[in-house]
Amino acid sequence: MEHSKTDPAGGNPSPPTVPNPPAITRRSLIGSGLAALFGAPFAKSLSGADGGLAGGGSAGRPAAPYVHRGLRQDDEIVLGVSAAFSGPSRGLGTELYRGSMAYFNELNENGGVNGRRIVMKLLDDGYQPDPCVANTIELMQDERVFLLFNYVGTPTVTRALPVLKTFRDQQVFLFFPFTGAEPQREPPYDEFAFNLRASYRQETAGLVDNFVNIGRRRVAVFYQNDAYGRSGWAGVREALARHGETIAGEATYTRGTQFSASMREQVNILLDRSPDAVICIGAYQACGAFARDAVDLGLHIPVANVSFVGSENMLQLLQEGRPDPNSHTRWLVNSQVVPSYADTSLPAVQEYGELMERYDPRPPDDVERITPNEPYETFPQSFVSLEGFVNAKLIAEIIRRMGDDPQRSGIEEAVFNVRNYDLGVGERVSFGPNRRQGLQRVYYTVVEGDRFVPLTDWEASFGMP
Amino acid sequence: MRVHKLFRKTRFSFFALFGVIVLSVSFLSIRTVSRELEVEYVSNSRSIAKNIADSSVDILLNRNLATLQSLIDQFVQIESIRYIYITSDTGEFLAHTFVPGIPDEILASDPSSTETVDRSLPGMGEFIEVGSPILSGVAGNVHVGMDEELLRLKIQRAVGQQMYLFGIILVIGTLLSFWFVSFSARPLADLMSLAVKLAGDGKATGEEDVLGRDDEVGELARLFTHVADGSARGDEGR
Repeated sequence: MEHSKTDPAGGNPSPPTVPNPPAITRRSLIGSGLAALFGAPFAKSLSGADGGLAGGGSAGRPAAPYVHRGLRQDDEIVLGVSAAFSGPSRGLGTELYRGSMAYFNELNENGGVNGRRIVMKLLDDGYQPDPCVANTIELMQDERVFLLFNYVGTPTVTRALPVLKTFRDQQVFLFFPFTGAEPQREPPYDEFAFNLRASYRQETAGLVDNFVNIGRRRVAVFYQNDAYGRSGWAGVREALARHGETIAGEATYTRGTQFSASMREQVNILLDRSPDAVICIGAYQACGAFARDAVDLGLHIPVANVSFVGSENMLQLLQEGRPDPNSHTRWLVNSQVVPSYADTSLPAVQEYGELMERYDPRPPDDVERITPNEPYETFPQSFVSLEGFVNAKLIAEIIRRMGDDPQRSGIEEAVFNVRNYDLGVGERVSFGPNRRQGLQRVYYTVVEGDRFVPLTDWEASFGMP
Repeated sequence: MRVHKLFRKTRFSFFALFGVIVLSVSFLSIRTVSRELEVEYVSNSRSIAKNIADSSVDILLNRNLATLQSLIDQFVQIESIRYIYITSDTGEFLAHTFVPGIPDEILASDPSSTETVDRSLPGMGEFIEVGSPILSGVAGNVHVGMDEELLRLKIQRAVGQQMYLFGIILVIGTLLSFWFVSFSARPLADLMSLAVKLAGDGKATGEEDVLGRDDEVGELARLFTHVADGSARGDEGR
């Protein structure tokens, strides 16, 4: 496994390899899963089975000097990434990576951070919890990365967090995971993660508030039946409770469902409950299938999606090959946690556009090896890659603040020093011991032509007839 | 010469005895295996439900439903468990594993009951559902549904293996009993052959084996020969 490196000549980065998730036995799956949930007691057995990590190494494993962990060479800082580069959600991991690479390419070409280049060590988890746990252990134990970065998904992150807690002595933090779920924002795991994006609770609360404001009080939920879906479901439930309402109806799907699958059963379940709006907590393939079948079965009400859905990926599925590309997108309203990439009045967005065009980072080569019959078509710009870009921009700033001799022990202090920092997205970023989420703003978008654009008037777009 | 009539009942008795033993042991075994497997199945599921209930307390108190869902998602990977749902003290469904939605039968049931019940869910199958209260029910209840079809398959498999074994024992036992009866009857057949020869020409030519035996059959054979010789001498004297 190579980590991605910037071509010294200034071209595109040589792509990193992405191995298949390591083979895991049923026993190890259950063991790691329980360890992930309950933390120390079970995780210790993982540590024991693997030779242990504490103290910079253990029997049979050469001990690395503590201060050099994550510093592969004197001129490199390695960020560990476990994300979905294969499977139905691979667009998310890939676009997030591309956005970050656009920034790191430019940064590294101009001398890196305090003379050190930033590289990403990529591992594919396919948006599955158990491979993510195994990857996290590998990144911390074998690769000794400086920090963890750009993880994708709630079910994956939820299970990786206890690994961080178990190996807390190593002071490895998870930065800016691509999930708005609560587990990494609340005790007992909040101290191991730093979030940049707004939470699902904020996204769903905003959607519910806006629906209620235009008279759409009966809100149903379509969700992925796992920790991610439950997190969003809980957000909708809480928001509705503040308005004296309850969830009008709910339908679920299994993680990994493809766009080709039928969601008619789910649509019919919700049709029976006569909702005024549906909030979807899912990934782009399943949510796209639901939006398609909802229109086909006459469920003509707003269908909202949260930021994780991957708006461009979903839009591509819904418009591809249709005589009228907008036939199935009229009722979509997606919340976002970064501003529109079309809003070039914002310095970071302008920079993002320029660097994405200049570098056009390729997906990791091994993604094509893992999914040989499913070529992935990248997007020139997207909300997900913009999020990856601002994630990279902020992590570079944090590392910069650590000076010439960055050490893990100094990470937390460097993050807490970020106060009222202008990231260039129209909202200043602050962190502190009780503030582990940088951005708070949620944006709402609707489809116009072949892209999502800011929603300006809820009443005009989705008011009750 | 073969002896058929004398041991026919003995053979039949052997066969009947083996059959009765095999059938009665099989019946008893099926009942025992079936009962034990079901008890173990339910007991394990109760343990799982209790485990989830005990683990859920802090998670529920922290209102961390994503972690709660993550918890039950792991347990539902266990082969026999097909669904899990957790309800609040007010009966609200806080986390579950149903796709595409919570079945009407479950929605209509009493969420506070933790009794073991048989459920038939359309499109899903037959289930045994066990429950466990969270904090004595004041924080909610955990319900675990186990696939009854899978239990039946396990019982069938276990019983099938035992029946296969008993079948083999029955066949081998029957063959052995036949061989044993034939083996036991062989000296008697030789004695009968000797008697036929003595009754014919009075000579025991070719019957040295039975005459040489040192058991009761040998003594009887020699007695037959002696009687036959005496009878012949009597005939000559007359």
